[in-house]
Amino acid sequence: MHIFANPVRFLQLARPLTGWCGWIGAVLVVAGLGAGLFLTPPDYLQGETVRIMYLHVPSAWLGMAGWGGIAVASIMELVWRHPLAGIAARAVALPGAVFTGICLATGSIWGRPTWGTWWEWDGRLTSMLVLLFVYIAYIALAEAEADRGGQGRIAAIFGIVGVVNLPIIHFSVLWWRTLHQGESIGITGSSIAGSILWPLPVALVGFTLLFVSIVLMRMRAMLARQKVEARLRRMGTEP
Amino acid sequence: MSQWPFVIAAYVLAGVATLALALASFVQMRKAERAAEALKRR
Amino acid sequence: MKAKNQRLVLALLALVALVGAVLLGMSALKDQASYFYSPSDAVRDHVELGRTVRLGGMVEKGSLRREPDGVTIDFRVTDGAATVTARYTGIVPDLFREGSGVVAEGRFTAPGRFAADTILAKHDENYKPPELAGNGMHETGSLKR
Repeated sequence: MHIFANPVRFLQLARPLTGWCGWIGAVLVVAGLGAGLFLTPPDYLQGETVRIMYLHVPSAWLGMAGWGGIAVASIMELVWRHPLAGIAARAVALPGAVFTGICLATGSIWGRPTWGTWWEWDGRLTSMLVLLFVYIAYIALAEAEADRGGQGRIAAIFGIVGVVNLPIIHFSVLWWRTLHQGESIGITGSSIAGSILWPLPVALVGFTLLFVSIVLMRMRAMLARQKVEARLRRMGTEP
Repeated sequence: MSQWPFVIAAYVLAGVATLALALASFVQMRKAERAAEALKRR
Repeated sequence: MKAKNQRLVLALLALVALVGAVLLGMSALKDQASYFYSPSDAVRDHVELGRTVRLGGMVEKGSLRREPDGVTIDFRVTDGAATVTARYTGIVPDLFREGSGVVAEGRFTAPGRFAADTILAKHDENYKPPELAGNGMHETGSLKR
């Protein structure tokens, strides 16, 4: 873990990984979504709209996993004071918010032809919308803190506290009655027929790799900006 | 109700958003790393 | 104990306490946070007549009847234990059908009789191609409790 705390070592690893994750992820996404659009059969009840699943499930996973990542990085930042952990947490925030937004939008488009409504305030939909707002609040907070030269500690605490929303999202369909259906994929197996299911893991892995690549790009951008600022400061003090 | 328009709308929306995010992140990284490189050489 | 270990323990304790509190709160809110009443709830809780509520359950097989005016339907909503007769005028979602889930918003006009203003279809977590679906019969098992 401490190996990654060193920005030089991190960059040696991050530079090749950015490209590899990005391109492999893109190929898998195109393959998974292509298969989901053209190769799989429609659902017996929902018809063609079931194809929205190949977007909706990966984006829901990334929205939630993103906040999980922010929480882990925030703990590392608070406990070990790794500056790189704070950068990682802030780099995840925007992609996490975007994928949460994609999840909400695709879910809304899916809901209209199946349930008969664009939006309902049930437990799952509402808790996912809260996640989007929590992301936006985190981004604003982290920006404000960085602008004032803070250490990122307030954002880190917010990152840890915000994790309470993840079990709410997960258990909402299990414990509360919701319009959203229950879990299709659990530890014990899946209630989705194999011929419909198979492109989903492909798209899921692809989107995840793409997400990692985007986070690495944002971390590299932040590190480079920090380097520029530090150098300019030094040049300013010793002319 | 016709279903394909909903499917296509979802795919276009998600595709545009993902692509825009990836491209913006790439451009920002490029710009920042070039600036850092240029400053180092000075 | 070293300072960073102390911080680690503190952070993890705070995390566990937070998540625990939320899980407790969620299970306590089980009834209030429900999006709809099941027919059994409605009977047990004596939902007052005329109050706008949501009623959810399965559309009982063989219960769907179309009135002569062509746009009004009658059907029974069941959760296996209790049954409510519902009436609705208007266009229903494509997925609204016998043996499938439904969430109706409206009010009770008499005990066991429900007038719906809107109808939403609720499907379950089983996805399969048409050739695996047998004779097209659909059971929303997750609504039976």
